[in-house]
Amino acid sequence: MERSKAMLVDITKCIGCRACEQACKEIHGFSKESETHLSTTAYTVVEDHGDRYVRRLCMNCQDPACASACLVGALKKTSLGPVTYDKSKCMGCRYCLVACPFNVPRYQWSKLAPYITKCDMCYERQAKGQPPACVEACPAEASIIGWRDEILEEAQRRVLNDNKYVKQIYGSHEAGGTSVFFISDVAFEKLGFIAAPKHALPTLTANALGDVPTVVMVGGAMLSGLYWITQRRALVAMADAQEKKERS
Amino acid sequence: MLESSEKQKARGLKPLSSAADSGMAKAMPFHSDRAMSSEADRAMPSRAHAMDRGGDGNDGASLFSVRRWIAQITLWRVIVALIFVAGAYATYARFVLGFAASTNLTDPQPWGLWVGLGTLCGVGLSAGGFAIAAAVYLLGFERYRPLLRTAVTVSFLGYLSVMVGMMYELGLPWRIWHPIVMWNRHSVLFEVSWCVMLYSTVLALEFSPALVEKIPWKRAREWYLKWHHEILIGLVLVGTVLSSLHQSFLGGLYLLTEGKLDPLWYSPYLPSLFYLSAIPAGLAATIIAIYLSVRSLDVKVDLGILSEVSRVIAPMLIIYALFRGVDLFTHGGSKYLLTWREETISFWVEIALFVFAPVILLSREKIRNNPLYLYWTCCLVVMGFMANRLNVSITGLQASSRIYYVPKWTEFALTLATITAAVLAFRYAVMYLEILPKSPQRPRWMVKSAAADA
Repeated sequence: MERSKAMLVDITKCIGCRACEQACKEIHGFSKESETHLSTTAYTVVEDHGDRYVRRLCMNCQDPACASACLVGALKKTSLGPVTYDKSKCMGCRYCLVACPFNVPRYQWSKLAPYITKCDMCYERQAKGQPPACVEACPAEASIIGWRDEILEEAQRRVLNDNKYVKQIYGSHEAGGTSVFFISDVAFEKLGFIAAPKHALPTLTANALGDVPTVVMVGGAMLSGLYWITQRRALVAMADAQEKKERS
Repeated sequence: MLESSEKQKARGLKPLSSAADSGMAKAMPFHSDRAMSSEADRAMPSRAHAMDRGGDGNDGASLFSVRRWIAQITLWRVIVALIFVAGAYATYARFVLGFAASTNLTDPQPWGLWVGLGTLCGVGLSAGGFAIAAAVYLLGFERYRPLLRTAVTVSFLGYLSVMVGMMYELGLPWRIWHPIVMWNRHSVLFEVSWCVMLYSTVLALEFSPALVEKIPWKRAREWYLKWHHEILIGLVLVGTVLSSLHQSFLGGLYLLTEGKLDPLWYSPYLPSLFYLSAIPAGLAATIIAIYLSVRSLDVKVDLGILSEVSRVIAPMLIIYALFRGVDLFTHGGSKYLLTWREETISFWVEIALFVFAPVILLSREKIRNNPLYLYWTCCLVVMGFMANRLNVSITGLQASSRIYYVPKWTEFALTLATITAAVLAFRYAVMYLEILPKSPQRPRWMVKSAAADA
């Protein structure tokens, strides 16, 4: 596989300046008012948890549930890392909202032609070699971007070398691994992180979908067999009746 | 046929073929009511005629027609009209004002009543069509043949209303064709959409003879029916496989909600559970449809068949319950069975309606053989089934979504209007097409005097 990009958010370094929020809003042309939760006009927000600040954004999973759920393939995992959304394909079924283990995608409920919104790690900028707007804006280097393997190594180095960190990299195993990692000195569940399943969710449906050809073949064969038996029985019964008639 | 009706008589069940029977009239008060009112209808015109001749002239006649028109306004017609008005407003709200004005859906609860009741229950309760078709054509249970057209009609209308519901449910309904050209074969919803598209076509073809029979041109009619007869077995076979696939994949949709859906409902075997529950529910819905047509329309069915179908329902429910029980205990849902939570209460209501009550009731011959009791038992099965689908799609996801979703009234109105439209369509189909055998047209007075003679 190609090398992909990933982001590391070091919660111990975040100073809560919300420069990432502002940069994100600016690049997407939203009004600059700060919001408390992810919304259709806030792809990332900084949450207050006592004296810790926690950024929320799409985790851009390695094997995203939303992309496997999307029946028209509007959501896609790019080889570069970001999970992108092609609004021209979307039909508005909202299965991605149901599927996302992190409850990230937002829907434009009040619009007449509503679309999904979510962070795509500034895919277009990254494709041109630029960092995501939020990372570029961060003055404290709390969010950094890089090749996924290197970023993961960096996260491990920090967690192992400094005792203040919780010995966990949130995103390394969650939902089978993501492209956004968090490290923290406070337990993740206290900061509102969801205890997501530790495996990729699409495998759950892949198993079921893998059964389709078997069901079609075995089911079809069984039903045809049953039909043949039914037919045969009817024929035999008819022949018997005929015979009786002829004899009498 | 004769023999079986003899048997039913011995069992104390009156075959409906003798609708004039006084026993029937007692068992079905509605039937005799209808007879009475139409009697009155018949009597009135002659009175009007007399009035006409009496010199009141046209005034009297027009006054009478107004009165007659008013007389046609029954309570049920008023209710149906109100439902449609509410549905029309809901349509306006959805397409002119948007989701936010017409639903209480939010990001944590993106699928609500329209998916839970409209799609999941609509498709599930339409399972009777493929089950009966497979039983008759593939397994050779000829005795179910009289139910075939009803089952297919119910299913066809069920799928039609699901598709109408889809137009409301999708954010961008004009893109409903996208899955035909944009494929994602990793998506369960993609499989469901294709199966539903194909199976609706199969159902339309299975249903088509009922319409084609009414074509006045003999050659065209016969050509079509001959062609139809040739492909019929293939259709039934394909239909059975397609139905089995998407009935189970509707459950498969929720496989991705691991960690979100309450353990009382989440299971890696959701697809199998959805499949196993859809068949008895679909059969129950078919029984309800037939019972209601017999009660309110001039239809002649040997109700003994219903009791035979009901014999199949209880074992299916037991198999489902066993599967579900084993699944709960092997996948860790069992520890929530006796906790005091809203989810657990909903769970037990669902199980009581869908499993306990029907299984106990259907084990009694008295209930299986009494059409009215059987009808109510089937209503329990359908309600239990709905409870299950709503629990999976709404109740079970409430805790993880951290919001309390109560559908907006427009959501209820639209769902109700769709169901009402389907019921009306079914009614007219039975009235004007050969869906169920109709009683021979006999003047009412003959029926009455025959009853008096008996």
